[in-house]
Amino acid sequence: MANKDPVRVGVLYSKTGVTSTIGKSQLQGTLLAMDEINEAGGLDGRELVPVFYDAQSTPAVYAKLAERLILEDKVNVILGCYMSSSRKAVLPLVEKWNKLLFYPTLYEGFEFSNNIIYTGAAPNQNSVQLAEFMTANFGSRVYLIGSDYIYPYESNRIMSELVLQRQNSEKVAERYVALDATEQDFHPIIDEIRDLRPDFIFSTVVGDSAACLYRVYAEAGLDPKTMPIGSLTTSEAEVSQMGGAGIGHFTSAPYFQSINSETNLRCLERFRQRFGADCVPNQCWEAAYFQTHVFANAFVRAGTDDPTQLVPKILGSELDAPQGRIRIDPTNHHTCLYPRIGVVNSKGQFTIVREATRAVHPDPYMVTHSMGDWAAELSTLEL
Amino acid sequence: METDSVRQKAGPTPTQLKNLRMLRIAVCHPDDADGQQMTQQLRRIGCHVQAFWPPLPVLPELTDVVFLAVRPDSIDMNFEWFNADEGPTIIAVVNYENPTIVEIVLRIGAKATLPSPVRSFGLLSALVVARQVHGDLKAQKRQLRKLSGKVLGVRRIEEAKNVLMRSRSISEAKAYDLLREQAMSKRVSIEEIAQTILNANEILSLGKT
Repeated sequence: MANKDPVRVGVLYSKTGVTSTIGKSQLQGTLLAMDEINEAGGLDGRELVPVFYDAQSTPAVYAKLAERLILEDKVNVILGCYMSSSRKAVLPLVEKWNKLLFYPTLYEGFEFSNNIIYTGAAPNQNSVQLAEFMTANFGSRVYLIGSDYIYPYESNRIMSELVLQRQNSEKVAERYVALDATEQDFHPIIDEIRDLRPDFIFSTVVGDSAACLYRVYAEAGLDPKTMPIGSLTTSEAEVSQMGGAGIGHFTSAPYFQSINSETNLRCLERFRQRFGADCVPNQCWEAAYFQTHVFANAFVRAGTDDPTQLVPKILGSELDAPQGRIRIDPTNHHTCLYPRIGVVNSKGQFTIVREATRAVHPDPYMVTHSMGDWAAELSTLEL
Repeated sequence: METDSVRQKAGPTPTQLKNLRMLRIAVCHPDDADGQQMTQQLRRIGCHVQAFWPPLPVLPELTDVVFLAVRPDSIDMNFEWFNADEGPTIIAVVNYENPTIVEIVLRIGAKATLPSPVRSFGLLSALVVARQVHGDLKAQKRQLRKLSGKVLGVRRIEEAKNVLMRSRSISEAKAYDLLREQAMSKRVSIEEIAQTILNANEILSLGKT
């Protein structure tokens, strides 16, 4: 008789704490995909059941809850994590117990684990494209501002090296703020930006403080037409917290809500029907959504979620995701994605101004990025 | 603004990291899970990798790094490229930590070790640190050779000055000037002139007591 037991999968995102805006959207993207899978008959007739815990934006809590999922809830697969620090907290546990983590977030690269599938962008899929675009359109004097943790340090190193390949380039300044920074913390930063007049600002400020940066920028009367902020992390979710202050600023990401494809439009519609306007779809939402389907497809082919048998079915698999047809790279467990550049418009959405025509292969161990790489070239849509 | 937030955290990328994708690496390891883990991870990093087992007595030309399995049966292993001046950087892959194995690791001149079972994490750091240590060591050896030569030269000049002072009854300053003039007119180094004088003096002193 066929096994009809439900399949329980760990879901580990942050509903509370500094990165809860993205965390909640990743949770809902995951739940949407699970609903779709169950409505379509489940995993060969078996219901997919999420076992969710709120990791509270705290790495130690991620570690504790990942262990609980593995040891008490006996899950084989965990979908989750946002900041690199949360992934690093979970990594040793999934390796120790030979479980599998799907990680739906852009990060700084330089990692590979047999027990992780990475579905967000690596730096060669967002940083190179952003550097190319910002320097070509605004100039090469860059001001770096980030949250004080590892992702901004490494992203800033990559951005500096890219920008400094241009003529007349300069790293004007490099500043960091606490993860829970408020508007007050950005006043001295914006004052300095006004004095130093960089050509553009590269922001790796994450979490709720991202909106503070853009708001203080707007209140100071600075003009995104001449000195815009370019970011890898500012998505529709952060923009929705800014009250219009995001307009005219740029983000490089593989997914924007405004992608005009059947798959994306239908997915967004189903999402609104199911969850209403509670959460704002964004690049991490999309990765959380499509990776759940990647898991489900592999499960059906493997007949099990035992990582030893599941992983070979994941590697090399393809899927029509909202951003386009993605593929899990078999050599490095990262994902072939479609880099895009968007500019925030008055509706709080991104107008896509550059777009990759083909998926770009992930290269998480790329030390020296260079501009003018053919793989980084995007087609011009507007501007 | 004068505190922590001003520190530069995105420093320039170290040369050893920038050069990773130019490295030619030989993985001398059986074709098992560890061997495959190493070659796959090195390829992810972007190095040029070839795998061999058993280890080659002569490595492919221009090999920069060797990951070498060191196991109990490696006890008699001895190749010319161990500890060679222009030899590759050796990283020992070990599955024992007893004195016998550690002795082999030291004897072959390994600059880092990688414990078995090999994990992808840690390989890049081991590789970069081993390259740095090996590079520093080579540079120091070159420097040492240069300095030893220099010290020897200074001693010869001293001795040659003494020979001149004794044989011609001149002052030390005068003896030095003489050496320098000779060196300039013959277009050789002052150390070489000193050596010539010492050689001549030795011959002329033959039979004397």
